[in-house]
Amino acid sequence: MSLPAWLRAYDRDDAIAEAFGGALSRRQTLQAGAAGAAALTVHALAADARAADSSGAATGDVAVLNYALTLEYIQAAFYSEAERAGVLHGPLAEQARVVGAHERAHVAAFRRVLGTRAIAAPRFDFRGTTEDPAAFRKTAVAFEDLAVAAYKDQIPLLRQPAFLAAAVAIHSVEARHAAWIRRLAGVLPAARAFDEPLPRAQVARLVASTRFVVSLPRTTGTGAPHLTG
Amino acid sequence: MPAGHRTRLLALAAGALAGAATVASSLAGSHVGPVTPRAAAQTIAIPPPRPLKADPHLVRWAPVAAATVAREEPRAEARPVAVVARGTPEGTANVVLVLGRSHATPAGVWLRARLPGGRLGWLPRRALGGYVVVTTQLVVDRRRLTATLLRDGRPVFRAPVAVGRPSSPTPAGRFYVRDVLRDYRSAMYGPLAFGTSARAPGVTDWPAGGFVGIHGTDHPELIPGRVSHGCVRLRNPDIRRLGRLMTVGTPVTVR
Repeated sequence: MSLPAWLRAYDRDDAIAEAFGGALSRRQTLQAGAAGAAALTVHALAADARAADSSGAATGDVAVLNYALTLEYIQAAFYSEAERAGVLHGPLAEQARVVGAHERAHVAAFRRVLGTRAIAAPRFDFRGTTEDPAAFRKTAVAFEDLAVAAYKDQIPLLRQPAFLAAAVAIHSVEARHAAWIRRLAGVLPAARAFDEPLPRAQVARLVASTRFVVSLPRTTGTGAPHLTG
Repeated sequence: MPAGHRTRLLALAAGALAGAATVASSLAGSHVGPVTPRAAAQTIAIPPPRPLKADPHLVRWAPVAAATVAREEPRAEARPVAVVARGTPEGTANVVLVLGRSHATPAGVWLRARLPGGRLGWLPRRALGGYVVVTTQLVVDRRRLTATLLRDGRPVFRAPVAVGRPSSPTPAGRFYVRDVLRDYRSAMYGPLAFGTSARAPGVTDWPAGGFVGIHGTDHPELIPGRVSHGCVRLRNPDIRRLGRLMTVGTPVTVR
């Protein structure tokens, strides 16, 4: 598969390219790149990207925390679904169990601090990546690398010291998760001396291109019932 | 951990956070100021990680993303069981109840599912959308003429019902709620109707295949009773209440 230039620059050791190889076709990549963040279906990520882009239009800590919450929702759902599927074994199952509990704790922490301002959890379709150990491993590498880079981009925008301290605490845990799964995937845990941040618009674009975030299927109708009566 | 050791560790952590805050402040170009130990103590309370609960009442359903053929075994050459469409006769998304899965193969994962019509079959994972989980279950007792909704195994709703007459009985078995219909113009179904995956055996010529519903009525005086064409009828206040408690994907046991 071919990644767009912005992602190739970030993905120096091809971990993301390999991870999303199955879920991201060249056509989808090009479509996502051409459409831009405003057209993405990942409404929470894209909306927050517009509201508080790191380029300078920051609107406050709430937007940053909701963005972080969205990323944590994705990870928590991914690991929880994998654990429930029960197809992982050995060290990979241990990683999913421990990291999934961490991600759920992160979700709980953000929801607690945001209260009624917390965005709702999106719906997900992980497209079989939680049900195939090889696909799980690759996707987990990508998620953890993305989380680390996304936190790095957003942490400097936080203004309240309490939020900053918590975000730093979570960021380092995400980095440990990334190293852990990279080790299990046979990828160098620390690929370089300096990590780069990944702007949220680019994170949104990448997440959208996976098509993991979906809308709830329409299961409520208003048509006349054809039921037997 | 000894209390003194813990206090020293917390102090060290607060100092490290103060340094991080200073760096972050300079990166952001805004005035934040160093994080004091007091500020660090006011940080977000991160709850302890908790393992997933083993929930015996949790079931998952998935929408049909692409029309497909359900098969007797998890392989493309196996005997077909049923054609599974993307939509229902009411125009809503078709859904199946997911019961299990095959091992990952080069051709992908297959899922064992309960299908519309009551049969079981294997579907390719790629034909389905994302999972949704529910912890509710509806039990329809044809002898006692009651419907009971359980949440996490505990009853949260019970109401009298009318079921199929002897010539068109409500089928016994395990089914699930496929969709919810509201705001239609048909008084005989009351204000709300749940479509289920069950098919009434006595009405094979019914439009759209004769699927069994759970709905209200314009003849509440017939409840409880055995008067329907296979559907489960509730009084309108009861179906409204059930509409607030039961969601699509809820397993339905008729006994």
